[in-house]
Amino acid sequence: MTKTPKGIHSPWASRGPRLLEKQLGTSLLDCRAIEPDTLWVRVSRKQIRAAVETAVHNMGARFLISAGTDLRERGDGYGIVHLFSLDRDGLFLALECLVPEWEEEVDSITPIVPGADWSERECRDVIGVEPQGHPDPRRLLLPDDWPEGVFPLRRDFDYNERPPAVEGSRPPLKEHPAGTTVIPMGPFFPSLEEPSYWRIFVEGETVVDCDYRGFYNHRGIEKLGDSVLSWDRIPYVAERICGICGFIHSTCYCQAAEKAAGVHPPRRAEYIRTLMLELERIHSHLLWLGIAGHIIGFDTILMQSWRIREPIMWLTEEISGNRKTYGMNVVGGVRRDITPAQMPGIRDAVTKVEEEVLAVKRAIVGDTTLLARTRDVGILSRKSAQDICVVGPPARASGVPIDARLDHPYAAYDDIPPTLCTQGAGDTWARVLVRVDEVVDAVRIIRECLDRIPDGPVLTEMAGEYPDGRIGISVVEAPRGEAVHFVMTGGVNRPYRWRVRAPTFPNLQAMPVMIRGQNLADVPITLGSLDPCFSCTERVEAVDVRTGKVTLYRKAELEAMARRHRP
Amino acid sequence: MNALLGTLSLAVLNVGLALLLSPLVEGVLRKGKAFIHSRQGPPITQPYLDLLKLLGKEDLRTSRDPFYRAAPALSLASVLLLATLVPMGTAPPLGFAGDIVVLIYVAAMSAVFLILVAYGSGSPYAFVGGSREMMILLTVEPVVAVALVVGALKSGSLGTGEILAWNAANGPTLSMVLAGIALLLALQAQAGKLPFDIPEADQEIMGGPLVEQSGPRLALLRWTLWAKQLVFAFLLVELFIPWPRTGWVGIDLLLALGKVMVVLVLVALVDVVNPRLRVEQAMGYYLRVAFSSLAALAFAVIGM
Repeated sequence: MTKTPKGIHSPWASRGPRLLEKQLGTSLLDCRAIEPDTLWVRVSRKQIRAAVETAVHNMGARFLISAGTDLRERGDGYGIVHLFSLDRDGLFLALECLVPEWEEEVDSITPIVPGADWSERECRDVIGVEPQGHPDPRRLLLPDDWPEGVFPLRRDFDYNERPPAVEGSRPPLKEHPAGTTVIPMGPFFPSLEEPSYWRIFVEGETVVDCDYRGFYNHRGIEKLGDSVLSWDRIPYVAERICGICGFIHSTCYCQAAEKAAGVHPPRRAEYIRTLMLELERIHSHLLWLGIAGHIIGFDTILMQSWRIREPIMWLTEEISGNRKTYGMNVVGGVRRDITPAQMPGIRDAVTKVEEEVLAVKRAIVGDTTLLARTRDVGILSRKSAQDICVVGPPARASGVPIDARLDHPYAAYDDIPPTLCTQGAGDTWARVLVRVDEVVDAVRIIRECLDRIPDGPVLTEMAGEYPDGRIGISVVEAPRGEAVHFVMTGGVNRPYRWRVRAPTFPNLQAMPVMIRGQNLADVPITLGSLDPCFSCTERVEAVDVRTGKVTLYRKAELEAMARRHRP
Repeated sequence: MNALLGTLSLAVLNVGLALLLSPLVEGVLRKGKAFIHSRQGPPITQPYLDLLKLLGKEDLRTSRDPFYRAAPALSLASVLLLATLVPMGTAPPLGFAGDIVVLIYVAAMSAVFLILVAYGSGSPYAFVGGSREMMILLTVEPVVAVALVVGALKSGSLGTGEILAWNAANGPTLSMVLAGIALLLALQAQAGKLPFDIPEADQEIMGGPLVEQSGPRLALLRWTLWAKQLVFAFLLVELFIPWPRTGWVGIDLLLALGKVMVVLVLVALVDVVNPRLRVEQAMGYYLRVAFSSLAALAFAVIGM
């Protein structure tokens, strides 16, 4: 199934405001197209729920994320923005309302958009605007011993301030239903590479419900962005949001900043970004395939798919100097060109990967035991996927035809549209197939990139300051789904507000629906099938520093350390 | 006196094989697994080193119950007792003391001790693992029982030595082949290999019954599992694939060892190309195997 990219001139650009005006009347305070693809609507605080209802039910908008901003120094109280995407029209819709300083509450939109659950809780935790009528207003993101009434993303809170810990605090856990046993998964669990605490409520081995407490790794990268870093430094921090899809975050941030600044990167830079993004997709999906195999005890898949993946890591090291965390993106383009000498190597490596991935696919498609463990496991219906606003392969495996590369074409995806890989079943097997197909499609995109890459510079230098009062919204289709970055200019050589949404943030919220009624044995693979990336979700800097000492090992030495007997 | 000495030395031989050879066999299997994984793999002596390391560690326990304390040792002891009831190269040393009925009971003992360890350790993971172990045991035991009863029917004796002698002399029969296949399928679960390592399931329940076990206790439980897979493989090859038979204990033993390795490599191969089943899927599988193995029984009754 393919879908051609849509132009950015959407009928909703003119119809949307009219519709909103009709529905909201005088509550619609302002409505303008701040970018050709972005509609910014300000409504009165009391009518935000009605506005969201119109957007979702009448315009078919898909919720992305909420961003709370402390606008008190501008005299506007707190700004709460709900971002939506009109996927078929390539349009972003931002519904903003201002909350006066003395009110600190706003109507929750979670009753209308279940997927806004975590978003609003996060907003409450960091900005301190209470979502009224939220079905589950427990603390989400702040540590258990963080004092009440201290909101870290308010602008009068210093980035390095450490409020005194509350003694005797308890995590805000959900009561388990009567007659169930709690099986804890986490905070540290063998099949989860990162800390996250699931409490699975089971009757016998059947899952009744679950509870999640996470964000153990939250280090306030957004806060650093609007208080310490500068525009040009953020790409390198953004890249460290995720250890796997770092380039996605730096690209997404750079695109948002470029939009806000009105800078257009050269075409060649956009091609290079596309190429690197697809290389990242290949290695991420292969990494996932291995982990998924490992979770159900199929270590042969783990070993083989990681072996297949390894040449991609060597390739990115050759291109950027690093296996991961390439450090290539800057606002306005990229720092490193791809030389003609590198191109045959790239082509060979991805062709090899394609061959081997197809071989793996042939091997796993006929494996009845594998099918027994993945078919009808962790089913996510299309309806639930849309309600919870699930993105990426999990959404596409449930038949939701969204892909940021097609819906909001960025980089060179307007020239080289990806194939939309969807499945209908919504089970773990469908998610396997979607990802395998995407690896093969990524190889095609890389080949076309190499064929069509134009000559020219790779960087447009920024001239002058960032204009004040601008908004940049950018999405990038990460391997796990769509990442969203939102920047607001107006800080001192830095964003006034930088909001990041990693794809795992909405996807994790689908877990309770997916595991309800299932066997306990299927919980790890169901969670694994979402390809969760907790560090992304928690915007952590994943740096492994055991000692301050820096030792440089050459490859031969590392190999010698890894295996005493060379083959 | 001579008979007693012979029995004793045979018993020492069988126990010694089960105890000392099983880590080496496990090491070879690990190497093979690594080969399929495109890995180097650990040296084949690694299991010995694992045992040495674990045995040298502090003995930590989550319960003071004396039975819980003794369970790992009892578990290993039960497998060693099983080894004396299984023919290895010649008739089983303690064949006079126990027939296949005793063997079936003794074979289940190590799993029962493991379940007791699980329930005694007080961890929810161990609890789930223990109940899974129980479910697997309950569905695999019938398969083992049916296979052995077929042997007993054919040879007209309940002794493993007699079954071995009868099968070696009277050549393969349809019912014995079918029973052997059933026992081979059961071996996969008895050895704790994929797709049936469900009670341990590292990625789901963190090793299940073993989750709270460390140091010497873990060493003994591991050793139990390795010894068990070797002894069961011996049971399979000696009773159901006893040919060729030279009559020289040493040569027969070497031949049996060779066959044991072939069988275990087969088991390891299945292990390496399969993901883990859910427990109810595994139970369904073994119930089907048990019912199919009834066919072997039927053939045995009509003399085929």
